[in-house]
Amino acid sequence: MRSAPQSERPRSIRRRLFALLLLPSVLVLAAGTLSDYFTAVTPFREAYDQSLIDGALAVAANVHMDANGEPKLTLPPEAVAILRADSSDTIYFRVSDSTGALIAGDANLPEAPRSHTNPSRADARFLDEPIRVVSYRTYTNAGMLTISVAETTHKRDGVRTNILSSSLAVDLMELGIVLAVIAIGVRLALAPLREVREQIAQRSARDLAPLPLERVPVEIRSIVETLNRLFNTVSESATAQRRFLESAAHQLRTPLTGIQAQLELMAADEADASKQQRLALMLEAARRLAHTTQQLLTLARSDEAANLRWELVDVNLAVIVENIVADRVVTADRAGVDLGAEIRPAAVKGVGWLLNEAVGNLANNAIAHAPAGTQVTVRCGVHQGAAFVEVTDSGGGIPPEERERVFERFVRGSNARGTGSGLGLAIVREVAQLHGATIDMDRGPNGEGTSVTLWFPVVSAPPPRAYASTASISFAGARRP
Amino acid sequence: MRALVVEDDPLVGDAVRRALTAGGYAADHVASAEAAKSALHAEDFDLLIVDIGLPKEDGMQLVRGLRARGKVVPVLMLTARDGLSDRVTALDLGADDYLTKPFQVPELLARCRALIRRANSIASPLITFGGLRFDLAHKEASVGGQKLELTHREWSILECLVLNAGHIVSKEKLLSSIANWNEDISPNAVEVYVSRLRTKLGQAALIRAVRGMGYRIDEISTAK
Repeated sequence: MRSAPQSERPRSIRRRLFALLLLPSVLVLAAGTLSDYFTAVTPFREAYDQSLIDGALAVAANVHMDANGEPKLTLPPEAVAILRADSSDTIYFRVSDSTGALIAGDANLPEAPRSHTNPSRADARFLDEPIRVVSYRTYTNAGMLTISVAETTHKRDGVRTNILSSSLAVDLMELGIVLAVIAIGVRLALAPLREVREQIAQRSARDLAPLPLERVPVEIRSIVETLNRLFNTVSESATAQRRFLESAAHQLRTPLTGIQAQLELMAADEADASKQQRLALMLEAARRLAHTTQQLLTLARSDEAANLRWELVDVNLAVIVENIVADRVVTADRAGVDLGAEIRPAAVKGVGWLLNEAVGNLANNAIAHAPAGTQVTVRCGVHQGAAFVEVTDSGGGIPPEERERVFERFVRGSNARGTGSGLGLAIVREVAQLHGATIDMDRGPNGEGTSVTLWFPVVSAPPPRAYASTASISFAGARRP
Repeated sequence: MRALVVEDDPLVGDAVRRALTAGGYAADHVASAEAAKSALHAEDFDLLIVDIGLPKEDGMQLVRGLRARGKVVPVLMLTARDGLSDRVTALDLGADDYLTKPFQVPELLARCRALIRRANSIASPLITFGGLRFDLAHKEASVGGQKLELTHREWSILECLVLNAGHIVSKEKLLSSIANWNEDISPNAVEVYVSRLRTKLGQAALIRAVRGMGYRIDEISTAK
């Protein structure tokens, strides 16, 4: 049962501190209020009781024995009137003998029970009203007489209410001040925590520099130190991974280049015609091997873990599109494809060579799958604030149900021709993700072929956060320049 | 034509040397910057092909040293790295072109020819391009000894394309090469001149149109 609310509401040191300080403060203040109240009320009660006692003694002084030895109250009516006179309360009195029989005054007025003091005092009810009664017991020749004087409690209640409300007002004010002081104190005490939290929140996801320790309070210093060690480890392993991949790229490419170039030369040597066919096959295999190696290494290096250390810099998409088209003029011409570019200025924050690889893969796919005599166009520009780069072809197209799957590694579309590694679009997806770009895949213009567009984040937005963002692939193609 | 290949990988170095020999160059192969320096000290070369990743002194340092000593020999750099920054650094240091491994042999030869042509166009007004011979001083082109009848504008466009062979030349650049002070020429005029040039060149060279970017001339041998 306890875990349910905890899971809904995260634990908070501030709330905890506040609650822990608040409860005792309220209790202490409440105790203070009560003590103030009783301290203030007691003298008033004593004074009022005393005046009742005075009245009782005055009445007692006026009880005399008549000729028959019977006790009689010899108080003149004027004196009775004075006794009963009070601005807010009604005063009652009663004189009774030892049997409880009324001698004078108000019948049925309750007596205060005997106690260790004489006169004794008590709270009672009379005529449906609360009263305070004082009973004085005196011994005469005619036996014990009880003289009770009582009054309603109006002025007592009034005084009590006054004292209570004024002491409550003061104490509530005190409570308010205490609450404010606690709130401010807790806030100030936790300020260094908040500072650290904000420092972490404001960091870019790729920032692996250690957090400064100078202003970190000792209570969480070890946490921040652990965090810094973690940053350091991640940073070192990212650097190591990147170095490893760069070295692997270098180590693999050089022998592949040698094998490929030697096979090319041997295959071109017409003097040795008998082996030409086998050499051509080996050359094709070597090229495929080189291509797949390149794709695998690019894919590994576009992976976020290897990219924590990539700096996103200003990249001009126009230059990338120019390079890509220029590098593929001969290939496109051989395939009988009309390769073209539509270049408008477009700048993004990114990694140039990765964008080059990604868009190059899109262009390679388009050229490979476009039938002879059709167009392949590479475009870049800005539409509604978002930079984009797009490759369209008028080939067979990719069936809608395959459009998501072709971005997975080693998956090739059912209409794919030739020998591809199946990594090209996976690279496109990784690179898009790294740049916070979204991928749109749709039919080409005229409803034929394929059009793949990378939409980059709007320039005014903060730079893309490498691993927080996920490249989304949409197939609606709603946004089209 | 003498070419020097500086490459530490024996298989790649041998392949490049063989390719250059097959392309009509007298090519030598050394495996280190030190060996390259002594070779350059002993002889003159028309072309240098330098791998960036050499042991000890790397290719970049070698080229920087050459340029610092005033050597103007054209340099093509080879690299197994794919950072765009390498390309910029290499070109800034004084390399004339840059090729990423793995490359294809015809591409390597085309780049080498382009480098030598560019170097020669400065030194001597006579250059060859595939089956074409150019006399830059007299603004004349010939195919197989036959002089081509070219108008001034056709010549200007052809010259502009050939001096940038293998690279795309934008329509605007071609337009500015033929535009006169007092004449407005529509961009479409470029298409007309290119079309006429194609007819006149026949099989001597290939002018490709790249939609949205411009034109590029290639020798027929590498165009296949």
